[in-house]
Amino acid sequence: MSRTRLIAANEWRLMRRNHVARLALLMLLALSAIATFTSIAHRAESDALRARFQAQADREFDGQPARHPHRMVHYGHFVFRPMPALAAFDPGVDAFTGNTIFLEGHRQNSANFGDVRQSSLLAHFGQLTPAFVLQVLGPLVLVFVGFGTIARERESGTLRYLKAQGLAARSLIAGKALALGGIAALMLAPALFSLGWLVVVEAAPLSGALLLAISYAIYLLFWVMAVIAASSMTRDARSALLYLLGLWALTTILVPRIAPDIALAATPLPTRLETDIAIQDDLRRIGDSHNPNDPHFAAFKAETLKRYGVTKVDDLPVNYRGLLAMEGEKITSRLFDKYNDTQFTVQARQGDTATGFGFLSPAIALRSASMALSGTDLDGHKRFLEQAEAYRYAIVQELNRLQAEAVTFADDGNRNKDPEAARRVRIDPKHWHDVPDFTYRPASLDERLRAAVPGLALLLFWLAAGAAMLRLASRRIGAAL
Amino acid sequence: MHETMTQATSTNAELATHLLAENSSPPPIEITDLRLVRGSRTVLNGLSIKVSRGEIYALLGGNGAGKSTTLSAILGFLEPDSGVIRVGGFDPVLEPDRARTQVAYLPENVALYDQLSAYENIAYFLALSGREPGRSEMDGALDAAGLQHEARERRVAGYSKGMRQKVAIAMAVLRDVPVLLLDEPTSGLDPRATADFNALLNVLKARGTAILMVTHDLLGAADCADRIGFLAQGSIVDEVRPSEGIDVLALHHRYGERTAA
Repeated sequence: MSRTRLIAANEWRLMRRNHVARLALLMLLALSAIATFTSIAHRAESDALRARFQAQADREFDGQPARHPHRMVHYGHFVFRPMPALAAFDPGVDAFTGNTIFLEGHRQNSANFGDVRQSSLLAHFGQLTPAFVLQVLGPLVLVFVGFGTIARERESGTLRYLKAQGLAARSLIAGKALALGGIAALMLAPALFSLGWLVVVEAAPLSGALLLAISYAIYLLFWVMAVIAASSMTRDARSALLYLLGLWALTTILVPRIAPDIALAATPLPTRLETDIAIQDDLRRIGDSHNPNDPHFAAFKAETLKRYGVTKVDDLPVNYRGLLAMEGEKITSRLFDKYNDTQFTVQARQGDTATGFGFLSPAIALRSASMALSGTDLDGHKRFLEQAEAYRYAIVQELNRLQAEAVTFADDGNRNKDPEAARRVRIDPKHWHDVPDFTYRPASLDERLRAAVPGLALLLFWLAAGAAMLRLASRRIGAAL
Repeated sequence: MHETMTQATSTNAELATHLLAENSSPPPIEITDLRLVRGSRTVLNGLSIKVSRGEIYALLGGNGAGKSTTLSAILGFLEPDSGVIRVGGFDPVLEPDRARTQVAYLPENVALYDQLSAYENIAYFLALSGREPGRSEMDGALDAAGLQHEARERRVAGYSKGMRQKVAIAMAVLRDVPVLLLDEPTSGLDPRATADFNALLNVLKARGTAILMVTHDLLGAADCADRIGFLAQGSIVDEVRPSEGIDVLALHHRYGERTAA
């Protein structure tokens, strides 16, 4: 057996005989197992619930009786975002952004501009998921199990004795790292089981799951190296523990907590109220479709009459009110899109700033990569909002088109006075059936990988930093004897 | 008859080759004009010692005389400012790992893994040196060191200083290396264990091991050492051979005189 493996085997033997190490590891494994099973069950349950609600919402929309198309525009429609399979591993911002939105004519969907997006939603903390256990508790257990691995040898004198046996510092470090790496691998086991389950049973993408496993392995490996380095470079085990707890608190709790706040302060996002007021101001400036003297809509009317070669809206072959609704929807949607793009640009900048803190915190680096690979990052939410908005616009314009083509201008004008006209403007409900159902298109694997690149690159940076620390520690061990 | 003569000739030739090799091989421990400064203090100042195969050299000196520093330098833990150290022909500064393969070291305070038994400690440390002694081999060494049978399976957390010392002695015996460094080896031992230990040293000496021990124990040194060097202010100020018949009282007097200088 090589010296490295001998040292690792001895270290495992010592850990098996250490009550604290055994208890800490057992607790983590138990938490990890609980997190794995509850997350998988929760995700399956939520997904089934969402699918049921979506089917119910579709049925209710399709089952509406004969109505005026504009009534249907305001009847609205619910859409639900299905959770990606890997959300069971890392739900990311999902729990904070929500996955249900109400779509209605002339209004931006209910999720956009919400104050919940103020914090960039990167500060999520405390959900018992496999990701949380490994990101936050995993390093803590490695600290408690490994802080004394070399420092105690120095304190007790065995380090000097080991050196006197002709043991090279690098063999000692490699053996200790192998031992603690084995513990990290044990911690990773429930997560690997969870990822395997999601791939086999829930059809999660294999390469995404593999990359997730590699990301978490790199993260834990960094902590293994940090623990060994601190244990090698400090005078005693107590100091090693204090330094490592400080490092854990700083990089795993404090920096990830304050990074989004700093990002928000650096690039503030207007509140929902401010955005609503700004949109109303802009709408007032653009024009009011109900005001016959409004310059924009007066020009629209003139241009429409010219296009059809008539002089009065009554003579148009289509219902002018429907055309007006289409134009109004186009204008308001364009305005909503403009504000939405601005918001997403600011959020992207906030996200970049927050991810930049990944140079100070490997936990931020991992979270960024983990959420991107799981499809539960803010980009996933943005994708859902964009698709939902495109869907909203399409169905509203389809209903407006029905108003223009299936309802006459005269009936539309008399529907409140003439019961026959009121009956005729209620068009056949088969039209609601023709409206296609909302189908969410999740990010492709390529897109997820691209989104994960900054986080993965930062993780590699931390891995290199860990290796450099170990090299330094190896030199220090020799010098300290 | 012819066969017997051929055998005898062959044995003589082997012996001659062996003796030649022994004479031409470097001395197990050779320190020449060693100088080592720590901070503003010169700890070793022109120290020279040579310990031959099968010789026990005792280094005596007061606190701060440089005894333990000498051992640390031999083990390559400290880099001298000048001078030469060779352990089995290897420079412990330039080739620390190779030099340490030649040395078994018995520290004053023996450090063992408290959660392991004596057997487990021995097996682990020896495995790191590339040796895998069987249980009977370990028992033989532990018997020679004087550790009771019933204690050997117990975790060493409950061991006394003397018992730990015995485990370390057994390890040193089992390592079977040309050089043995001892730092106050009998400080935790009772008189009987000390006598056993001295007997054990003689066994190792007979095996050809070069033994360098640092100690305060003048009587113990006089009992087992071939030469005693008095270390004061970083160098050997006097050297005696107990075999030359110096009585203990005179030796004590001479030691006090030399080291006080």
